[in-house]
Formats: sequence, C-alpha cells, structure tokens
Amino acid sequence: MADTTEANERLVCAILAEQVSTLRDRMDASAAFDLLWRTTALLSWLSGLLGDLSRHSASTNPVLERERAEAIAEVAEIRGELDRLAFSQAQRQDFARQIADCVVTALERMAVAEMPAGTSFSSGDLAALYVSDDQRKLHDAVVQRMGC
Amino acid sequence: MPVILVLDDSATMVMSLSHILKGAGYEVETGMNGREGINKLGEGIKPSVILTDLNMPELDGIGFIKEARKIASTRFTPIIVLTTESGGRKRDEARAAGASGWLTKPAEPNQLLAVVKQLCPAK
Repeated sequence: MADTTEANERLVCAILAEQVSTLRDRMDASAAFDLLWRTTALLSWLSGLLGDLSRHSASTNPVLERERAEAIAEVAEIRGELDRLAFSQAQRQDFARQIADCVVTALERMAVAEMPAGTSFSSGDLAALYVSDDQRKLHDAVVQRMGC
Repeated sequence: MPVILVLDDSATMVMSLSHILKGAGYEVETGMNGREGINKLGEGIKPSVILTDLNMPELDGIGFIKEARKIASTRFTPIIVLTTESGGRKRDEARAAGASGWLTKPAEPNQLLAVVKQLCPAK
C-alpha cells in the first residue's frame, strides 16, 4: 500500500514537472518584445525624418515649426517609456522563468528520489535551488506561516 | 564604437540589453552562458565592458569571471554582474572572482546606462 502511495506521488510529481516545464516554455514573449523594439526604432526614425523635412523645407511657418518640435518631444518621451516598459517586462519574465526552473527541478527530483514518501525533498533542498532574494523571502514567509 | 559583451541565458534579456546599449551608441556582442562568453573572447573580441548574469547553464557568471580574469586582454576589463541575486554571500563570491560592480534586477535602463557610461563613454 505504502509502495503504491509512493509511486503515485512520484507520478504526480513527474506530471507536474512536465506541466510547469511546458508553461515555462510558453512564457516566451520574444515576438511582443521584438514588436516593441521595432516600434521604438520606427519612432526614432520618424523623429529624425521630421527634423530633416523641416531643415529642407522652404516654408518657415511658425505654427508648423512649433508642432514639429512638440511632436519630436512627444515621440522622444514615448520612446523612452517603451524602452523602460520593455526592459522591465523582460526582467519580470526572466524572474518568472527562473522561479519555474526552480519548481521544475524540485518536482523532477521528487519524482525520481528513491526514499520514503515525504522525505525525498526538504524545504532546505528547495532553498538551495533559489536564484534570488525574492524567492528566499517568500520561502521564509511560508516557513514562518507554517510554524516550522 | 566601444564594444559591450552581454551574457545572459534569457534570450529576452539579451535582446533587451542589446537594444538599450545599441540605442546609446555601443556595439554589442552577446552570449547565452559563460562558455559562449569565453569563446567570444577567444575569437579576439575586446569588450570595453562586460555585463553578465550569474545563474547560467554550462559556465555560470562566477566561473566566467574567474576564467576571463585569466585572459590577458580582459584581466582589467570592467565586469558588471546583472542579476536577481542581491544577497551578500553571492556578491562577495562575485567580487572575489573579480567582478567590478553589481546591478540588481529589476533595474532601470537609465541605471544600466549610467553604470556603463561611467566605465566607458559611448563615442
């Protein structure tokens, strides 16, 4: 009976490891980031084009000139915001991927451990897989909450 | 144009860092782990600054720094560690290996550029 329970637990761990692994692989947002960067590159090009058009224009309309300057300033601000957004999202995604890596590794080890059920993997073993302080803080909070 | 070598096992981070650095006037070489970084140096690339993650497969950031410090051309090249690790132990380990500085993720593009420009102004 105990052997069956243990085998079942290992099976569940193996399935969960595979599912989290699939989820991690689906986190790839390269296409979205690529589009963001192409947009910022386009904005940069348009901004330069506006400047060039103004320099080569015979007209010296002050209203057009003011609007051009305002458009260039707005484009620069949006470009900066997009850069910040892309960078922050990339880091966030990287962090999520690292957490998923950690969960997959833990579940894979639990799926193959040749030890009695419930003793194959400790919270200390899990903590050894962490790659950031955020993970350690979360770990400590759970350990404290569980009164361990 | 100054060359920055970027090492990170996350393709998105590599693309993101490259975009920011290229936009600021730097040439960027990239690698997905420390081994690829060492191979790039072996190919004769002479970076002005190296940005590296710590947790990477094959050869991690600490291992890379140790090996890079053995290569004459990068013995004194500034190496900035860019990682989610902010713990003192890891920081000490990286410093002992030869890291010049540390930037904890999440970082802002301006923070990153300020550090890089201080070490190597874009031309």
